[in-house]
Amino acid sequence: MTRKTIVIAVREFKAAIRTRTFFVSLIMMPIFMFGSIAVQMLLRDKVDVKDKHVAIVDCTGKLAESLLAEAQRRNTSDIFQGEGESRKQVRPRFVVTVEPPPAEATPEALRAQTLELSDRVRAGKLFAFFIVPPEVLDPAPKDAPSKAAVAYHSNNPTYDDVHNWLRGSISKMAHEQRLKSLNLDTGMVMKALTPVWVENLGLVTRDAAGNFQAAEKTNELASFFLPFGMLILMFMVVMITAQPLLQSVLEEKMQRIAEVLVACASPFEIMMGKLLGTVGVSLVIVTFYFAGALYALKYTGFGGLFPSHLIVWFIVFQCLAVLMYGSLFISVGAAVNDLKEAQNLITPMMLVIMIPFFLWVNVVKEPAASFSVIASLFPPATPMLMLVRMAVPPGIPLWQPILGMVLVLASTTACVFAAGRVFRIGLLSQGKAPKFSELIGWVIRG
Amino acid sequence: MNAVELVRVSKTFKGCRAVDDLTLSVPAGSIYGFIGPNGSGKTTTLRMIMRIYYPDPGSGAIRVFDEEHSAAANHRIGYLPEERGLYKKMKVRDLLQFFLEIHGRREFKGPIRDWLKRLRLSEWADKKVEALSKGMSQRIQFIAAVIHAPDLLILDEPFSGLDPVSTEDLREAILERRRAGATVIFSTHDMAMAEKMCDFIFMIYKGGKVLDGTMESIQGQYGYDTLRVRVEGNGQSLGGLPGVDHVTDFGRLQELRMAPGADSQRVLETLMRKGRVAHFEVARPTLHDIFIRIARPEPAEAQSDTAVSRTR
Repeated sequence: MTRKTIVIAVREFKAAIRTRTFFVSLIMMPIFMFGSIAVQMLLRDKVDVKDKHVAIVDCTGKLAESLLAEAQRRNTSDIFQGEGESRKQVRPRFVVTVEPPPAEATPEALRAQTLELSDRVRAGKLFAFFIVPPEVLDPAPKDAPSKAAVAYHSNNPTYDDVHNWLRGSISKMAHEQRLKSLNLDTGMVMKALTPVWVENLGLVTRDAAGNFQAAEKTNELASFFLPFGMLILMFMVVMITAQPLLQSVLEEKMQRIAEVLVACASPFEIMMGKLLGTVGVSLVIVTFYFAGALYALKYTGFGGLFPSHLIVWFIVFQCLAVLMYGSLFISVGAAVNDLKEAQNLITPMMLVIMIPFFLWVNVVKEPAASFSVIASLFPPATPMLMLVRMAVPPGIPLWQPILGMVLVLASTTACVFAAGRVFRIGLLSQGKAPKFSELIGWVIRG
Repeated sequence: MNAVELVRVSKTFKGCRAVDDLTLSVPAGSIYGFIGPNGSGKTTTLRMIMRIYYPDPGSGAIRVFDEEHSAAANHRIGYLPEERGLYKKMKVRDLLQFFLEIHGRREFKGPIRDWLKRLRLSEWADKKVEALSKGMSQRIQFIAAVIHAPDLLILDEPFSGLDPVSTEDLREAILERRRAGATVIFSTHDMAMAEKMCDFIFMIYKGGKVLDGTMESIQGQYGYDTLRVRVEGNGQSLGGLPGVDHVTDFGRLQELRMAPGADSQRVLETLMRKGRVAHFEVARPTLHDIFIRIARPEPAEAQSDTAVSRTR
């Protein structure tokens, strides 16, 4: 690396972090990313607690009473939060009224009743109503299960609290009634049907002294969300730092600074300087976000979930990600004459950057599969996918991240070299954008 | 020793030959003026010397300080491009320090202070470039090109758009650099400035060299064929005088170009018959006149131009 590259890198670094835009995006990016979660958490208790009036037409004649009792139980306990003075209602009461089925269960009479109840819902007197057919209590139904379905009617298809409550309660009551009709002991059967729990464990080991070390419990949620969180963080940093490189290169061409620069340093030195300056900026951001994320994990008691060796690898791959994607953005900036032309090339570029997002779920599930190995050695996907694979226990052989690093560095150098050539020739050419074949010619011939 | 040497250099852009088989030697320590009409190849030649453009493959070589196409000489060159551009968000002081650093200089305060003072910009040192007027940023751009005390200065139209005071400041600064031993190459459309400042004049026309030498040697090629006269009763036409090929009317003064072999005394006699001659001077042609003689479209070209404009 030459001295000129360092001088240019330092200038780029200072120019980037001294701007107001930098601070705004530093703060805004997490707000955009995690803001919706925070808003949902804040609004969790801000629900409408107005009573929901629900009517039941019980054609079995056996469930209405139990359901009324269950609604009563719910209305006095489940809908409240807190104890003593801080106890407050956080969910609406479900007020259930029983509507007798028509005396003669002819289809016309049933239709008339359904229509009348629907009108009451439309008029706002009822929130929903449901009709329980006698078949629900059949212990060995011969027909399709849909025949025995409870019909739930409402004008709010997206509000599912009533629906969910009903499903749970009626199922439980129907189970009891069916078992009773078969003369079976409900308590015994329920106990016998307790699901078998399968514990997810790592492998047992021996420590240095030869003592047996029990396997650790695998935190499935953590081993899934830890890689995802790192993926998002890496993506955020790339978006804040690498994308502006395109604009920066373009600006130098448009404002005619490029000609002065090319007179002072080689195009490769200029491009590499810009890229390294940006890596510096990304390190500042990573430090900022990482410190925040680690503090948040520690504060919430999940500090132990983040293995410390991953921090080092994260920083290494973050730098590689900025180098890789930055060099792609620089190449685009060097090839175009204005922002409009750049827009056309940004879309395919974003698709390349999104590749890890399309593949990560499969890679997390089987980090050691040959598909995952090959995908993570494809340079534009390496920084994110290799890290994802490392984050899932037990990790991957060391040669793989090292080979990935070498491949990323080689492709970055090639990109910067190509961008440098295009920059030198393209910076003084005006008018219509060069064709792709012309760009290739510039890269090859210099 | 030559600071810059071009040997049979050509440059073609998409089939259009911008510079054609050009050979040129710029002696170290001289001031070399590049003149030529717009689009004749001046800037392309300067950019080739700067290695921003490379000559056509297979065409000749360019040597700067006896080094052939190496970036090693870049720190010895100061370049002011024709199209100016600076980082607008940077403070003037930081910008100049950046240029010093990139050229490997470690002493910043002294040169920045001295140059800003010399070009009357001291109070703008801590302002952002975007706050400067066009003339001021042009002066800053000049400082950026010379602040690292280069051995070779390449200035593409350094005086264009400057007011007379700034022009004087820049001219003095350029001469001072030359006194310090630097070689200066600059392109200009100001013929009077080129004539007064340059040790050598090089004129390029349609990509080819048409003039190259000292002012005296160039004028020597044309001899004393120019008459500067003022005849009382200004405004009367002197066209059609016998022995006169071309008349340039400057208003108060008229410049007559004599036909080859014509006698100046005969022309004077004819003039005296037309009116009272207040001024009569037999002179060599000015650079301006020589430029026009070379670059003025040929009568056939001029006629076809008129024909084209009529059909539009």
